[in-house]
Amino acid sequence: MLKTLRLSFALKNTYRVNSILYSLKQIPLLGRLFPAALYQVRGLKIFANILSVLWEVLSVFLFKCIYFLTLVCGLGLLYQNAPPQLSFLHILLFLTLIGSYMNTSLFDPTRDKYYAMILLRMNARSYTLVNYGYALLKTVIGFLPFTLLFGLNRGVPLWLCLLLPFCVAGTKLTVAAYSLWDYEKSGYVRNENKLQKFAWLLTGIFLALAYIPPALGFVLPLAVYAALWLVWIPAGLVSLRRVLTFRYYREINQELLAQMFAQMDTVKEAVKTANEKTISADTSITSQKKGFEFLNELFIKRHRKILWKSTIRIASICAFLVCGILLLMIFLPESKAEINQMVMTWLPYFAFIMYLINRGTGFTKALFMNCDHSLLTYSFYKQPGFVLRLFQIRLREITKINAVPALVIGVGLCLILYASGGADNPLNYVVLLVSILAMSVFFSIHYLTIYYLLQPYTAGTEMKSGTYRIIMILTYVACYAMMNLRLPILVFGAACIAFCVLYSITACVLVYRFAPKTFRLRT
Amino acid sequence: MQFVIEHLSKRFEQKEVLKDIDFTFQEGKIYGLLGRNGAGKTTLFNCLNRDLKADGGSFFLDEDGVRREVSAEDIGYVLSTPTVPEFLTGREFLKFFLDINEGSIQNLKPLDEYFDRMSIAPEDRDKLLKDYSHGMKNKMQMLINIIAQPKILLLDEPLTSLDVVVAEEMKQLLRSLKEGRVTIFSTHIMDLALDLCDEIVLLSHGELEVVEKSNLDSQEFKEKIIAALKEETYA
Repeated sequence: MLKTLRLSFALKNTYRVNSILYSLKQIPLLGRLFPAALYQVRGLKIFANILSVLWEVLSVFLFKCIYFLTLVCGLGLLYQNAPPQLSFLHILLFLTLIGSYMNTSLFDPTRDKYYAMILLRMNARSYTLVNYGYALLKTVIGFLPFTLLFGLNRGVPLWLCLLLPFCVAGTKLTVAAYSLWDYEKSGYVRNENKLQKFAWLLTGIFLALAYIPPALGFVLPLAVYAALWLVWIPAGLVSLRRVLTFRYYREINQELLAQMFAQMDTVKEAVKTANEKTISADTSITSQKKGFEFLNELFIKRHRKILWKSTIRIASICAFLVCGILLLMIFLPESKAEINQMVMTWLPYFAFIMYLINRGTGFTKALFMNCDHSLLTYSFYKQPGFVLRLFQIRLREITKINAVPALVIGVGLCLILYASGGADNPLNYVVLLVSILAMSVFFSIHYLTIYYLLQPYTAGTEMKSGTYRIIMILTYVACYAMMNLRLPILVFGAACIAFCVLYSITACVLVYRFAPKTFRLRT
Repeated sequence: MQFVIEHLSKRFEQKEVLKDIDFTFQEGKIYGLLGRNGAGKTTLFNCLNRDLKADGGSFFLDEDGVRREVSAEDIGYVLSTPTVPEFLTGREFLKFFLDINEGSIQNLKPLDEYFDRMSIAPEDRDKLLKDYSHGMKNKMQMLINIIAQPKILLLDEPLTSLDVVVAEEMKQLLRSLKEGRVTIFSTHIMDLALDLCDEIVLLSHGELEVVEKSNLDSQEFKEKIIAALKEETYA
């Protein structure tokens, strides 16, 4: 038994260490410092091993701590209608019941189980039991400090606090034993990551039971809670026998893990078919144009669903919101001053909104998955003149697509500004409209440019550029930060227009200079 | 015309995949490129197709003593897994290709004639390429690559996943196309290489070398190739 435990630890640790090393290597620039024989270097291995052990220890306590801080106590703090000790026991009880079937560890198809039992053919029964025992032990040890800390703090008796972790383990054991019995009877293998409708329904009910009654001040007496909790200890002990004597661990795991790894193989396939599904099968779509315009027109028409339809939907929602605000001002004239103030200073906020509604990433992704991914393997497609010609056409298209909601928002804001009392300087209207449009053009160019300059995908449609990812994150962070900015329209608008114009020019120059070289499939 | 590679080298970190390749390919011949798994066949093709930047060396076309740079349209590269733009129909893809290469393609024919030549059935020509079978995608890819009449045709394991009938058609096609160009054909299937190719070239130790057939019968020739490939040590 100890040997099994040691082996499964060593295995889990090995691939954890390797994943840590692998991710270190993926960091741009820093990754180059690491040698190719990274996985042989002793020092690095020791370092990763320490991280791995730390993670194991941390994972015992960290998640439990967060769980108690937020779900059990955090939300419980809001409840003034019931004694804290009772609402604590109440909420924890129902959440534990949910956890008993959502977090079993026995029916969780994980990678280490696959490696150990399927690939390395370890004895399924002893592997499962040893790891299950370890998982239960982690549950008890992980829960104990927090039931003591939070429970005592809320006035739950010490003896109950000490027993609660064992009750939690008891619920898990009982559900596990029931599921094993169910397998023997019906052959059905539970998979905690693929719950049935019934389980989701039950979760909904338990959640409602956990939070609604204490909020209304309805709780049971302490003795009843104690009984409801403690009953799980004998139940767990009885179940333990069943878990230990169950004979079909190999069969259960075989089925559980086969499901999982059939899934993993098909993930790539699924991405491909998902992308192909976005292509319209409408045979009446044709084009009378020639060359690249022909290619582009067919592309846009056959991807109408993900390009134009969604942009029109966004534009309609924006129009709807604008109408709503206009109506609000008609019915509630006293809101005008505040709205006027907002429109005059909240323009930076729209940088983030424009970021959110931009179709640039969807467009470049569709471009790659359904078009460039294949055409880039043909040498004619990579001729510099053609690359740039197509860039122009695509830039025009994505700008058009993004301009529709931008126009709606820009005009809408001008209307709102006018209706809410107007601005002293009529230039405000112009700047408002132009800066919104400039932002939309900026995002269009931005995404297309980084796509052409970094082309992050491989022929296998795998994303392989760290730089691309970092730029994406930076774009998000920058736009998000803008939300906190409060500047008058004229100041921000002028700066924004200037920036967009400058950026667009720079981007186009860069594309013209480098894209013929960078717009390739990654290898 | 000759296709000359001089001092081509490529390394991935410490591993030298191509080291100082010097080779001259002659017009009108099909070269069978053989090598162990991981020997660098695809790397070589990727370097020649400029998908991958070589670390050093050059390659060029030598036409009657006049050297010129290999441009993108000189190369046709057929990948083992066929890739075609899924959102176009076969006919549209062909039309697009002919449109943009109008200037450079000699004796343009009606679209259907090209399809006939590849034996792609009339009812399939107006289907979206995403609904094509593997073999049909392969034919489509081959068609696009040969219409442009590239000087150099690189084929990476092109016949392995085709059914016997299509594979035979393709072989015939490649034979009929070999005049006026250099065809380099990478494969793991020795019999295919012996059947189709005029020369057998080995990629081993990061270098290219011809296996002389001289007066060996095919069995002896096979043994010689295997023996040469076995020498490959793990660097």
